[in-house]
Amino acid sequence: MKARFDNVYVLDVMSDDHPGIVAAVTTAVESLGGNIDACSQTVLGGYFTLIMIVSTPNPIDPAVIAEQVRQAGTANSPFQVLARRANAPPKLAPADPCGRFVITAFGKDQPGIVRRFSQYLAGRDINIVDLYGDRTGDEFVLIGQLEVPTRWDIGMLQTDLEQMGEELGFTVKLQHENVFVATNQLRVSYST
Amino acid sequence: MLRTDEILSTIEMLHAEHLDVRAVTLALNVEDCAAPSVDHLCRKLKNKIVSRARRLVETCNRVGAKYGIPVVNKRLAISPASTILAGHGHAAAVQVARTLDAAAAECGVDFVGGFTALVHKGISSADAVVMDSLPDVLSQTRQVCASVNVASRKAGINMDAIHRMGHVLLKIAEATADRQGFGCAKLVIFANIPEDNPFMAGAYMGAGEPEATVNIGVSGPGVVCSALKRRQARERNLTLGDLAEEIKITSFRVTRVGELIGREVAAELGVAFGIVDLSLAPTPMVGDSVGEILKTLGIDRIGAPGSTAAVAMLNDAVKKGGLFASSSVGGLSGAFIPVSEDAALAEAVERGHLVLEKLEAMTAVCSVGLDMIAIPGDTPAETIAAIIADEMAIGVINDKTTAVRLIPVPGAKAGDRVDFGGLFGATPVMEVRNTGASDAFVHFGGRIPAPLQSLGN
Repeated sequence: MKARFDNVYVLDVMSDDHPGIVAAVTTAVESLGGNIDACSQTVLGGYFTLIMIVSTPNPIDPAVIAEQVRQAGTANSPFQVLARRANAPPKLAPADPCGRFVITAFGKDQPGIVRRFSQYLAGRDINIVDLYGDRTGDEFVLIGQLEVPTRWDIGMLQTDLEQMGEELGFTVKLQHENVFVATNQLRVSYST
Repeated sequence: MLRTDEILSTIEMLHAEHLDVRAVTLALNVEDCAAPSVDHLCRKLKNKIVSRARRLVETCNRVGAKYGIPVVNKRLAISPASTILAGHGHAAAVQVARTLDAAAAECGVDFVGGFTALVHKGISSADAVVMDSLPDVLSQTRQVCASVNVASRKAGINMDAIHRMGHVLLKIAEATADRQGFGCAKLVIFANIPEDNPFMAGAYMGAGEPEATVNIGVSGPGVVCSALKRRQARERNLTLGDLAEEIKITSFRVTRVGELIGREVAAELGVAFGIVDLSLAPTPMVGDSVGEILKTLGIDRIGAPGSTAAVAMLNDAVKKGGLFASSSVGGLSGAFIPVSEDAALAEAVERGHLVLEKLEAMTAVCSVGLDMIAIPGDTPAETIAAIIADEMAIGVINDKTTAVRLIPVPGAKAGDRVDFGGLFGATPVMEVRNTGASDAFVHFGGRIPAPLQSLGN
């Protein structure tokens, strides 16, 4: 992503999900002369969240941007908005060389599942680049896409995570992402 | 970034349906091991195999663990033993086989294939040594597997070789009578033998292959069966076309897994990646069965009318999915129907639903032939030869690989139950009808000429 203008902001909008949110937010951004350089939305449990990188030709107070977008919401469906400057390039990946892995965990839901696994990963400088969790009935499924520093022995990590899963009554697997690429994508481009 | 549904569907296939890589076979050219002294030959042979293959098992285990996919069998295949036995005799052949056994044990692999003779047009003196040594070789070794190619599209059918193999089979059975003739389970008699087959007992290193190569056999039929059952549970009014599509998609995904693992194992071992063999290879485990797939396709009794059509559809759909998944498809690449190794097929034999002649018909449209079939130990050599000739004719005329792995069980009669243990499974002894009625045909000998299909140029 390369911003069109020099003044770059990150904008975060949350709302209950309904048609027209993106149109309302982008209209507000455009009214300030802003350009949308990147955006991503997610809907979870009926709630909508949108993150955008916006750039403008002239500096604007982030509070002004946030207020302009907030006013695009309605009384029945208010927008919760955060805006901040994003001029420093974010650190996208750990400095260490990494392999891309996927952790999956399935089991009976209980508080603390995501915490236990994420604490273990954080303690080993393993970056979570994408996270998905869902409770269906009593069952909870957790999927994390990870950047694992190559200094770790994968067999050891697998053993640790499987042991932790066993203690929690969860089936846990840590697998290189290429197996998911191979089985799902027509044109394969394998990571290391 | 991967999508969640992609990850979930792969996880379902890998873990709920127990997808695995069935065989990683390291094929080695050992022609440079030939030497005038058999001791020297055997030293070179063992050194070469152990130095090239000692990391195979550990590498397969590590790569498999990285992707969460077990590699079930690790194997070796060598150039045809006849190429290194030229100028040697029976004792040398047995010594070479024992050396192969020792090398396989040292590398930790379960089988080594390539005790092979290629005699489709004629039998050289070295081929004769290999063929005639098989009773001793297969009774005195544990891990050595043998194959003899007796027919090809280009050469026709060598009836002299087939007749000889009829007698050899009976001798192997006698030599392993204490194990119900089990030695015969380690011998495959082929038409159009593939040079890059990773599956035992027929794997060997072909003449057109590189110095060393890794060939992969992908997962068993359990995954396909589960995919079909899941689709049928989810949707009504499915047609056979819809089910063929489901098989194709599953085969695509399974093949991709095989190639991923195979290429990485080959790269780590520093050898060329060869092929993925798409074959659905059953095991005696319940659910890991081609017969179960046929039941899922609506054939309640395997062997009933419709069985051949169902196998044909299955075989074709597997190939189509696999071919799109990989540009390196080879080996046998079809659906195997080995009776003792497939619990549903063995059960169909036991109940009288499946007979030898129907199995033969099914092999005309799938891979690989009359496989792991126990027959009465008193079946005459000429009748065994005639059964082999029939199966070879299917291969030669249809321009495909066919094979025979018959086990004449000493002292057993039709209906007796035999258990070969482990992956070789258990089966009732099948009835062979019209025994002795083909003797004159076999005794003519010579070679059935190459068919019209041989003149493709």
